[in-house]
Amino acid sequence: MATPQITLTSSDGVDVTVERTVAERSVLIKNMLEDLGDSGEAIPIPNVNEAVLRKVIEWCEHHKNDPPTAGDEDDNRRKTSDIEEWDQKFMQVDQEMLFEIILAANYLDIKALLDVGCKTVANMIKGKSPEEIRKTFNIQNDFTPEEEDQIRRENEWAEE
Amino acid sequence: MAAMLQTPHKDDLPETWSFLEAGIDNVMMKLEEGVDMKHYMALYTAVHNFCTSQKAVTSSQGLQAHRGAHLLGEELYKLLGEYLSRHLAVVYKESQSHAEEALLAFYIREWSRYTTAAKYINHLFSYLNRHWVKREIDEGKKNVYDVYTLHLVKWKEDFFEHVHEKVMDAVLNLIEKQRNGETIEQSQIKSIVDSFVSLGLDENDSKKPTLEVYRTYFQTPFIAATKQYYENESRQFVAENSVVEYMKKAEARLAEEKDRVGLYLHPDVTKALTETCLDVLVTAHSNLLRDEFQILLDNERQEDLARMYRLLSRIKEGLDPLRATFENHVRRAGLTAVEKVASEGDNFEPKLYVDALLQVHTRYQNLVDEAFNGESEFVRSLDNACREFVNRNRICKTTTTRSPELLAKYTDGLLKKGSKAAEESELEEMLTQIMTVFKYIEDKDVFQKFYSKMLAKRLVHVSSVSDDAETSMISKLKEACGFEYTNKLQRMFQDIQLSKDLNSNYKDHQEKTYDDDDRKKMVDSHFQILGTGFWPLNPPTTPFNAPTEINKTCERFQQFYFGKHNGRKLTWLWQLCKGEVKANYIKNAKLPYTFQVSTYQMGILLLFNETDTMGYSDIQKATALGPEVLDPNLSILLKAKVLLASPEGAKPDPSTTFTLNYNFKNKKIKVNLNIQIKSEQKQESDDTHKTIEEDRKLLLQSAIVRVMKSRKKMKHVQLVQEVIQIVKSRFPPKISDIKKNIEALMEKDYIERLDGDEIAYIA
Repeated sequence: MATPQITLTSSDGVDVTVERTVAERSVLIKNMLEDLGDSGEAIPIPNVNEAVLRKVIEWCEHHKNDPPTAGDEDDNRRKTSDIEEWDQKFMQVDQEMLFEIILAANYLDIKALLDVGCKTVANMIKGKSPEEIRKTFNIQNDFTPEEEDQIRRENEWAEE
Repeated sequence: MAAMLQTPHKDDLPETWSFLEAGIDNVMMKLEEGVDMKHYMALYTAVHNFCTSQKAVTSSQGLQAHRGAHLLGEELYKLLGEYLSRHLAVVYKESQSHAEEALLAFYIREWSRYTTAAKYINHLFSYLNRHWVKREIDEGKKNVYDVYTLHLVKWKEDFFEHVHEKVMDAVLNLIEKQRNGETIEQSQIKSIVDSFVSLGLDENDSKKPTLEVYRTYFQTPFIAATKQYYENESRQFVAENSVVEYMKKAEARLAEEKDRVGLYLHPDVTKALTETCLDVLVTAHSNLLRDEFQILLDNERQEDLARMYRLLSRIKEGLDPLRATFENHVRRAGLTAVEKVASEGDNFEPKLYVDALLQVHTRYQNLVDEAFNGESEFVRSLDNACREFVNRNRICKTTTTRSPELLAKYTDGLLKKGSKAAEESELEEMLTQIMTVFKYIEDKDVFQKFYSKMLAKRLVHVSSVSDDAETSMISKLKEACGFEYTNKLQRMFQDIQLSKDLNSNYKDHQEKTYDDDDRKKMVDSHFQILGTGFWPLNPPTTPFNAPTEINKTCERFQQFYFGKHNGRKLTWLWQLCKGEVKANYIKNAKLPYTFQVSTYQMGILLLFNETDTMGYSDIQKATALGPEVLDPNLSILLKAKVLLASPEGAKPDPSTTFTLNYNFKNKKIKVNLNIQIKSEQKQESDDTHKTIEEDRKLLLQSAIVRVMKSRKKMKHVQLVQEVIQIVKSRFPPKISDIKKNIEALMEKDYIERLDGDEIAYIA
């Protein structure tokens, strides 16, 4: 049986065709198809451009057979910072793309992808000093020395 | 390629909201016209964009370390709620122009439109649900719900609260119509129920539905209406119809209400509905029903009794008053049946009596099984009644031991050769029935006594109908009363089997020891060795000189037996022995007659081998028989005309002489002279009763000693109680007898009386 295909239109106006089951990794698309039925029309995705959309679809393709995760499992999965190998490779993209993927996952409501994205960022932060972190993400330090001191004192417990 | 719809500026609230409101209103009011994907996505995106607008960052001031990022959405949530309230105000206003079924139709239509829209809107606002709502709920904020639940909450507050009474009135009117036999549109009620159920929300977890709304606003008025309806109906029905008719009506109504739950109510109502119906339809009329019970019993209306049972069994303690009535009724039926047997005189067949008992039991056992569902309490009432009429009726008015005696006699009749129950399966069934009566017999020891006497006779006289039947009966008794009860019976049975082997061994032995000539002269013989302790038999009451032929035979056997079992003692039970003699002296007989005689009779007859005429005292001297045995046996021989008395017609007494009758004639070649003597029979029964008294005394004393030996010291009252417990499976002891035996044991110094009503064991 041929799996039904649907077409998504990116914000920059490019049509991308995917299997319906793949697209339904996005709860947004899944709900909409449930509510409206598949009219065969292309589905506009106003907030995601073609590059990001293709990347997201690539991820969904790879994970299309994952079992839907339930609440508890979800939590457990989220607590570890482990990322499976394929996903690690998948996330080896420039920072801008990484953040675009995270935003798209949030918008399209693809929880597992959102988690992977956030974990990737978390791993980038892990073990780094504030200064290193600022460098990594190109953040300007807008704290006064006094404020910085106060924060350090408040968070002493977290350090060794 | 799909054209993108222009979405509002993400940080402009008024613009965003008016865009959303237009969309929502379409979903709510014109969903049938369809929503296209562009609008759907645009609405979702508008919510998303608003919630992620940069305002979040700018509005977060200073350090919000504990709260994390500020989430936007509260304004949208509030505006959505206000929109719903406005919508519902309109709906309410429209509803006011409807009533009854039209109102229900309106409610259902609006509910359906509203909840369908709610599902869509919930999806369109799912970004709000996932972030702002989730955070609020996680932080324990009350009165914030996911968007779908918000719809339900608003419906309940802004519409339901104003209309539920009117809606319920319509529902109840509809149900009443149906109860009156009209056809109604059930699906309407079902939809209303579903709606009420959906509105039940858990305060703490809106995902968890509760039935509170349904219970308060539907169930309570529904149950009240049901109660009133059936109160009226049953009051009127009872006034105009018979109780039996009312029971049918009530049963039908109960079934109907049960079905109603399945048709369109929520299963949660079942318990309350059933209880209410039972209260009004059964409990309220239970006295009326119970008053009819005796009448139904008298007329054997099994079906109506079953109906009454079914109804009353469903209410608390509904059946209790019936049990006593039933027990009395069965007892009276039993007594009446026995009365009928007794009215036909004293000489009734034991079968008649046992059948009468069984018939009553069977009839009411069936009634209990069929109409009362075999319920254990009714079985107990039946048992009580049967125990009463089996042990205390007109026939056993003088003594309760009549029942076991008659039962034992009846059993004997069945197990003796020549009984009418030919088929083995039929016999087995009758034995089972005997056990039914036996179960109710209180004086089980009496049955045992009589039974063992009769068994002894059947075995000794080889008159059992079959070994299988005997074994079957013994094992039934064993099952009912235990090993001890049947121990002796079993040993008796074994003795007979062992004797069979012994006789065949003896035959072999004779063949080896004696030559053919010797053997020809010998009397053909069969011996039974009966263990003294197990058989209810006594040594002969009269001395007896056995004829020489017999004596020789006995001696030969004794020799053989003592050779096998050194040191044993054999007592010859002449009174139970029998044999056959051939009468070669009779003229006019083509074949010689054979007389079947007792050993005593044989002793008398063989004397006439030497002479034809003998005086009474000569016979007595020669046989050594006491007159109580000699006289009746001579009478039998005279009556059969084997001997002739002189003077003619004289009774056996010292002045009579006896002559052998050479002209003896009989239709049969084999003549049975070994007839039981009437006075013996009566004597036996009396003796048995006497030994029962004796045995009971011993049983009581051994029970008392046994208890005292293990307790050493105990109160008098307590001792009596324990003794009753021990012996009651054999017979119901009288307390006065127990006391008497306690005294007796004190006299024998087994036990002694201490101060304070205590008794002690003397070691």
